[in-house]
Amino acid sequence: MDEDILQDFLVEASELVEQLDEQLVELENSPTDSDLLNAVFRGFHTIKGGAGFLGVTPLIEVCHRAENVFDKIRNGDVSYDATAADIIMRAFDAISDYIQQLNDGVREFESADEGLLSELDALWKGGAAPKPEPAEEAASSQPKLELPDDVDPDGEISDDEFEALLNQRDALDNSGSNESESEEPKLALPDDVDPDGDITDDEFEALLNQRDMMDGLEESKESASSAPAPPPEPAKPTPPPEPKKASKPEAAKPDAAKAASAESTVRVDTRRLDEIMNLVGELVLVRNRLLTLRSSDGPEEALSNAVGNLDHVTTDLQASVMKTRMQPVKKVFGRFPRVVRDLARKLGKEIELELKGEETDLDKNLVEALADPLVHLVRNSVDHGVEMPDVREQAGKVRKGTVILAAEQEGDHILLSITDDGKGMDPDVLRRKAVEKGMMDEVSANQMDDKAAFELIMSAGFSTADQISDISGRGVGMDVVKNMITKLNGSIDINSVLGEGTQIKIRVPLTLAILPTLMVSFEDDSYAIPLTSVQEIFDYDSSQINRIDGQMMVRLREKSIPLLFLSDWLAPDQVKDNYAGDKVIIVSIGNQRAGLVVEQVNGQEEVVIKPLGVMMKHLEGYAGATITGNGNIALILDLPGVIQRFQY
Amino acid sequence: MDSEPNMQSTSNLLDGVITDEDDEKYVGPSIRCVMFNLDSEVYGINVKKIREVLRVGTIRKVEGSAPSVLGVINVRGVIVTVVDTRTTYGLPYKPADDLSRIIIVELDTDNIVGMMVDCVMEVKDIPESQFEPMSATKEGASRYLQGIAHYNGDVIVLIDVDSMFSGQT
Repeated sequence: MDEDILQDFLVEASELVEQLDEQLVELENSPTDSDLLNAVFRGFHTIKGGAGFLGVTPLIEVCHRAENVFDKIRNGDVSYDATAADIIMRAFDAISDYIQQLNDGVREFESADEGLLSELDALWKGGAAPKPEPAEEAASSQPKLELPDDVDPDGEISDDEFEALLNQRDALDNSGSNESESEEPKLALPDDVDPDGDITDDEFEALLNQRDMMDGLEESKESASSAPAPPPEPAKPTPPPEPKKASKPEAAKPDAAKAASAESTVRVDTRRLDEIMNLVGELVLVRNRLLTLRSSDGPEEALSNAVGNLDHVTTDLQASVMKTRMQPVKKVFGRFPRVVRDLARKLGKEIELELKGEETDLDKNLVEALADPLVHLVRNSVDHGVEMPDVREQAGKVRKGTVILAAEQEGDHILLSITDDGKGMDPDVLRRKAVEKGMMDEVSANQMDDKAAFELIMSAGFSTADQISDISGRGVGMDVVKNMITKLNGSIDINSVLGEGTQIKIRVPLTLAILPTLMVSFEDDSYAIPLTSVQEIFDYDSSQINRIDGQMMVRLREKSIPLLFLSDWLAPDQVKDNYAGDKVIIVSIGNQRAGLVVEQVNGQEEVVIKPLGVMMKHLEGYAGATITGNGNIALILDLPGVIQRFQY
Repeated sequence: MDSEPNMQSTSNLLDGVITDEDDEKYVGPSIRCVMFNLDSEVYGINVKKIREVLRVGTIRKVEGSAPSVLGVINVRGVIVTVVDTRTTYGLPYKPADDLSRIIIVELDTDNIVGMMVDCVMEVKDIPESQFEPMSATKEGASRYLQGIAHYNGDVIVLIDVDSMFSGQT
């Protein structure tokens, strides 16, 4: 198997699979949309072409049958009903599975699932009397449907080529009665010309050109474009393949082997790169100005202007470079129509998923990191939020529930929201559960406002299987979701109205690369604490500190918060028994709070996160390192890891 | 490469530690090595693996890291781990001095690591024929050695940096 071609195929196939995923779900809403049907048909066909080139037999078989079925569907012989959709979905899953396996380096495949193949066949045969199969199959039985000689029939086929083949076939189907045409279907006159009448020079030229085109693809490429009086569609011989696509397998770039890890690349709009180049140019100019100012001992005002300028350009540059890593949130959203459809069908619910703000850009890493939490939340909405159609009707709602998945940019954050019009959550039930679980006493439970009650569902251990049926049900793994979002320096906000629905809002920074932090230090060693977790800072006051069960706790507004003496870990050589003058930083991670005792707080700084290198990747308690304004290295603390460290 | 001036100055400084006079008598392919010292022993690392050699600046200690790790340094915006090669070879700790250098080794394109050594001497071409193949003994494996060469009266230990940091990237 040629790895270069394989990589090209995988990139293309993955895109097609993504498209198909959406198209198939869309198709269920409009099963007769012929554009859509054609698009789906082409999708399967193109994947089959590539698979044929690479000789991945099971993949070819599945694609081929799916393609057959869709050929029937778009001819109106088979309807795309729920049964058909299920079989096609399974075929689609099998296909994306094969492609995933290819991606993972699997090169040998067992033969395709017989059950699936025969179901597809049955679906195909279920239609009207067999018609000629599309494309290649037809090519063998009907010699008039021909690909240019130099095109591998199993290779990738361009859309144009494909259209041409379809047109050729249609021409054959329609021309059964017209003998002269069916004999020479490739040479045709425009419809409005009487075949027995006089022929103009131009028309004659056109016909000659058409004939020449048959002689070889080389000539056909030129003459097709230069032919005066373009021949009518059905007569058009295979037009020159669309250069970009058709040349792909052959022109596999020599360095494509490097692209083996396809996921590590991002396609970047060249305009964005130009922007970056421009700004870098600016940056160099400003820097040069600074250098001359420094040597000529110029007036201070000019210097500070220049520095201010440098600051602006650098900020813009930073933003631009960041944009090169941005991807539309569509990448994550794309999978949800399918997720919702499958789950709704399984549960017997009627649910419509609305996607909003798909074009919102966010950091590539975030796109990947958000996928899992979002799937979780959307599943929750479908599973536990939206009621059964009958229940909804009784409650005076429309049978069909709606789940809205939206994204929008909000300053330097992205706001994602999952909204359903389901049954909502009852804060009183949640309060009661919290008391039953022993998480708090009744008094404090009753003092909790509704919002705080909703947040209970994100506490570890709050959700167990027996609760989810009688509360609204959200809670399965919500603590996990919360932790994942916290890891991304984001936050979750829950709103719910009993009987009307629930909205969960996730706020994450636009990028993971830049982190607002609080700088603290022990002697000369500085550390950065992610600012999103910091709640408050106050002086260490031994009168407020108690030892409870071996753990030092600080009293803060009637609550006890465990203290972590970071110096025990970060400055072990220091013998310290008096913490007077130190600071306590209250941080919150998930639902936990802790007070970090540090020697000195140096203030806020936005830092660029750099990974720690060899032999340190898995060191607990550190999220990375950064270089501070004065050129020193500061270590960035990973708070969940820090807490873990102190819990032994 | 930034390493050039550094290595140049060091080798001038230590001219005569290894003499080149007998070079002509060896023929055949050779391995170009950067030679360095730990105490009195001479070690070599294939020059292909080396990105640069740096003087010792500020090393930021990272609490909780392995005993052989000295800390991290900032190499033009990249955070690089520095290991104490002496500790790796079981030699007692010795504070850095004027001759100490950090050899920046490229494990692969994404992973670089700094090795603190007592001093860097020069770049030498050592004929492959001079290397005794290392038998896969435990001793050889535990010391991350690729081979030992007897060359111009010196015993040169060629280090296999990949095995030294395998599983650590």
